[in-house]
Amino acid sequence: MERSHLNPAPTIFTILFFLVFVAVPLALAEPKGTVVMFHAGSLSMPFETMEKEFEAMYPGVDLQREASGSQAAARKVTDLHKPCDIVASADFKVIDKLLIPQFADLNIRFATNQLVLCYTDKSRMADKVSADNWYEILSTDGVVWGHSDPNLDPCGYRALMVLQLAEKYYGKPGLYDQMIANRPQENVRPKSVELVTLLQTGNMDYAWEYLSVAVQHGLKYVVLPEEINLGNYKHDEYYSQAVVKVTGKQPGEFMDMKGDSVTYGVTLIKDAPNKEAATAFLKYMLDPNGGLKVLQEQGQPPFIPCRIPTEEMRSLVPPELKEFVEVKN
Amino acid sequence: MGKRGPFYWVSVSCGIMVLAFIVLPLYELLTAPSSAMLRETLKDRNVIHSIWLSIYTSLSAASISFAIGTPLAYVLARSSFRGKHFIESIIDLPIVIPHPVVGIAILSVAGRNHWLGHIMSELGIRIMGSTTGIITVLVFVGMPFYINSVKSGIEGISPRMENVARSLGAPMWSTFVRITFPLAWRSVLVGFIMCCARAISEFGAVVVVAYHPMTAPVLIYERFEGYGLKYSQPVAVWLVIVCLSLFLVLRILALSGKKAP
Repeated sequence: MERSHLNPAPTIFTILFFLVFVAVPLALAEPKGTVVMFHAGSLSMPFETMEKEFEAMYPGVDLQREASGSQAAARKVTDLHKPCDIVASADFKVIDKLLIPQFADLNIRFATNQLVLCYTDKSRMADKVSADNWYEILSTDGVVWGHSDPNLDPCGYRALMVLQLAEKYYGKPGLYDQMIANRPQENVRPKSVELVTLLQTGNMDYAWEYLSVAVQHGLKYVVLPEEINLGNYKHDEYYSQAVVKVTGKQPGEFMDMKGDSVTYGVTLIKDAPNKEAATAFLKYMLDPNGGLKVLQEQGQPPFIPCRIPTEEMRSLVPPELKEFVEVKN
Repeated sequence: MGKRGPFYWVSVSCGIMVLAFIVLPLYELLTAPSSAMLRETLKDRNVIHSIWLSIYTSLSAASISFAIGTPLAYVLARSSFRGKHFIESIIDLPIVIPHPVVGIAILSVAGRNHWLGHIMSELGIRIMGSTTGIITVLVFVGMPFYINSVKSGIEGISPRMENVARSLGAPMWSTFVRITFPLAWRSVLVGFIMCCARAISEFGAVVVVAYHPMTAPVLIYERFEGYGLKYSQPVAVWLVIVCLSLFLVLRILALSGKKAP
């Protein structure tokens, strides 16, 4: 009976006060919901680790990743109009080519990689292969080797660039054609990571992969000289001697890709459905003690700090991320 | 049909929903590319090759299923033995396994690290990136549809006919060829169509085993990734048109002479 004398107003007021001034701002401050990310297949392993670390930091956020070739990742945004927050590409130029300016403003270069020739114990001539004779082995009849599709996957045209550069570096005219003649079209696959399965099941003897992929899958690999492995941007001028023809905007049209060091790029999509949480993820990813450390551990040397080409583009970077990028071309 | 009660209208509206669900996206697909674009695509030799390869490999897969699946379907329909249900579940396995896993499984047997793959490589048989490989995959995914259709067809035929033939001294083989098969041919044809349809639409398992040579679904994927939706749609339209007309012909064959109940 006594309870009925109690005025409920103060209780209600307290609850409302708590909701309006404490709970709601807290909830707003804490990013939540899903973040959708399309990324290159070669980033699958480090992003898996990053996803776990990030979701432990922000339990309210669910990072949903889709791995594909880098071009395909961009196509999902440009052609399929799939809602997406972040695109990470194995070649930062894909972002320039397909996403900027219509779908994105930023192109942050965050990591490098290099090409290696992967194999297993069971590969033909596995006991003989080295940095000095790999090109002879690839020219040997009966050795099955392959790379990914240069038209779909940056790793594919980069593998061809390595072969072209090898011809110059080792001073053996005709070497490129000689190797390609020993690689039937059937050994070309859509994505480089798929080749790992072919190596492991003994369907293929040698495959071109990024160093990070080789490390992550515990494959054996031949490390090539810096001048041809596309791993050091100091050699960009030398790399630019390699030119690979890839398909253009429509069937029958072609364009030239020039050799360049392997540089990964990431971008925030302009109409990202969950910009806040996506920015929080990028803040974690570009942090030298966060995502960049994961990349380092998995054989993918990061840029510390990450790079952005122009001052103008830097002005478009969300304020939370500014401390992690520098202007450097 | 007597009075049209609520149930009738519920059925009608559900039916319309189902039909719209199937037809609307297909209509969008078929009308998206311009007719000029469609003509242009048909001049592309890669497109013609891939559609032909799809048809050829699917028909091969269905023929192989016919040759080795029919006797098994007969045994399963006519006899009961211990472990029959187990065998039936094994036959259904390819329906439930995710498609890329089918491709990976076949590749792991075909690789030189496996004894079978080793023997095949000695014999010069290659699965990865070959037409043989594509047909292998398509038989794997299509076979259950064939066997299940033929099995239920034979189950629907009274065993008495066969018993009569057998009692008159006809051997089992001749009984099957002269009695059972002529009665079950329709379900054999339906099984053949189902197997073919399943095979021609397969993508996930095929792309794992063979990217080149490209079947039509793989080419559609490659066109989409390389050039975008605009250039993959016309190929998709042609594949749909070719498939539809092919299956229409087979359906008409299967149903001809059969009175609607």
